[in-house]
Parts: sequence; C-alpha cells; structure tokens
Amino acid sequence: MALYDMSPEIIMDSLPLTEPVLLILLSLAAQPRHGYSILKDVEQMSDGRVLLSTGTLYGALRRLLDEDWIERIEEQDSSRGRQAYRLTTRGRRNLQVEIRRMKQLTRLANLRIAGKQA
Amino acid sequence: MRALSLYRHLLRLYPAAHRDRFGEEMVSVFGEMRAEAARMGIGAQLGFYVRETAGLMMGALEEHRRAWGGGAIWLLFRTLFFSTLLFPTRRVTMHSEFRFPKTTAVLMTIILAGVVLAIKKGETISSSHVNPPIGPLPPTHSVLLGGIFLTLAFFYAAGLIGWAILFAMRRSGVHRLAETTSK
Repeated sequence: MALYDMSPEIIMDSLPLTEPVLLILLSLAAQPRHGYSILKDVEQMSDGRVLLSTGTLYGALRRLLDEDWIERIEEQDSSRGRQAYRLTTRGRRNLQVEIRRMKQLTRLANLRIAGKQA
Repeated sequence: MRALSLYRHLLRLYPAAHRDRFGEEMVSVFGEMRAEAARMGIGAQLGFYVRETAGLMMGALEEHRRAWGGGAIWLLFRTLFFSTLLFPTRRVTMHSEFRFPKTTAVLMTIILAGVVLAIKKGETISSSHVNPPIGPLPPTHSVLLGGIFLTLAFFYAAGLIGWAILFAMRRSGVHRLAETTSK
C-alpha cells in the first residue's frame, strides 16, 4: 500500500522520523520497556553508534506520549521511579508506515544503483 | 551521590510540568547510566557526563520553547541571547532536518562548567568568610543590583563571544565539510 493510500490521521507531520526516534519506537515494538532499558536497546541495535542522553530520551518520549504514539504502563517495580512504555495502536501503525516508506526508498536506491552499475 | 544530587538540581532548568512528569524517572535512569559508565572507566565516564550535560541543557531549552509555544517571547529571547546559527527558526518536530550543531553542545557544556565552578567557588568563599564585627550595615540593595548586573553582563558577553566564534566558523564554511561527509 502506498503512503497516500493511508488514512490522513495516520500520516503525521512527524514523518520521516529521526534515527533516534525510529530506534526508540523499534525498541518498544518488541515489548514494553522502561527508560534505561530503551537506552540500552537503542545502543545495542545501533552497534553503539547512537548513544542517547537521558534528556534526549525523555524529550522524545514526551513528544511520542503527546502524539499518542506510546503510552505509559504501570510497572511492578515502581518504587525506583520507573515507568514502562509501550506502543499504542496508532504508534504501531505509524511505525509500519515509516518502515514501508523506508523500504520503498531502499528499493528505489537499489534500482538506481544497479542501473548505474549495469 | 553528589552527581545524582547535582543532576537533580539541574533538572530545575526544565519547566515544572516536565519535571513533575518525568523528573524522578530521569534521575533514576541517570543513576543507572552513571553506575554503568563508572564500571567502564574514566573515558566512558567523561563521555557520559558531556553527553548528559549537553542533552539536559538542550532538552530544557526545547521544553521551554515548547512551553512558550515558540511564539514572540521565545523569538525575543533567542534574538537577544543567541544567534540564528544556534537555533534555526524551523518548527522543532521529529523531522530529521532539526539538528543542533555540535559546536552548540560544546559551547553549552563549557558555559555550564563555568557556572558550576563559579557556584562552587562562591560556596568556598562564603564558608571561609569570618563573621565581620558588628557595625554599620553595608548598602545591600546596591550590592545586589550590581551583582545581578554583573552576572547578566557576564552571560551576555559569553553568549556574544560564542556567537562570534560560531559566526566566524560559519563564514569560513567549516560546517559544509560536516554536511558533505554526513550525506
């Protein structure tokens, strides 16, 4: 499905996403996580290339919460000031839109590169 | 513990709403990250503190910008204290084109370090100061006003120097080298 086939409410003006935000969303796509776990997962996914600071992480989380891409869930160990986050349905759909856009771009890039080499 | 306490104090740079919403979590995550950096050696610790300081200051500025609605007050503030090189006029979203220059992070870290050192120095002086003999009270109002004026002048001068450095760098075209390599 092309991007323009999607419902207008899904196509946010936040697309395309920055790499840190994309990695945060991918981190939450697998399972709910709390802040420290997100930071470590982002670092691991990017092979240590993307190191987020606490301020950057919570700035991104605030925006994602405000735009209803993610939601807070109660964690059992809340005594340590921890809160877990998970993707909302809207967030998951928007993430899929972004991944589809990236796939199209990659496909186009491959075609162009292959065409030049041929 | 001292770093945690300092971080907690620095969180006051954020708007109260953001602090109430995320403050405890941020302190908790900072503590966990710091403990891990401490296990990895001095280099990792140094990188961690620079990253956290820059992230915190930029995050606080962004949250204030958002709290002010990015309107006239923010524009006035930015025009008075910073150049457009540091804060592009585009709306701040998750778009990839919004990037603070790396020089901004370095400059802000240096300014923050200066502020922290000045506070520490002030505390040291005040703790070593012997109570003066009772006599006529000094004119506190003029001293206070003079202090505020000097502080503002200092920060304004620091901002101007930073702006001049960045302006000179931009005029020299150094930033284009970074753009070339990242694309």
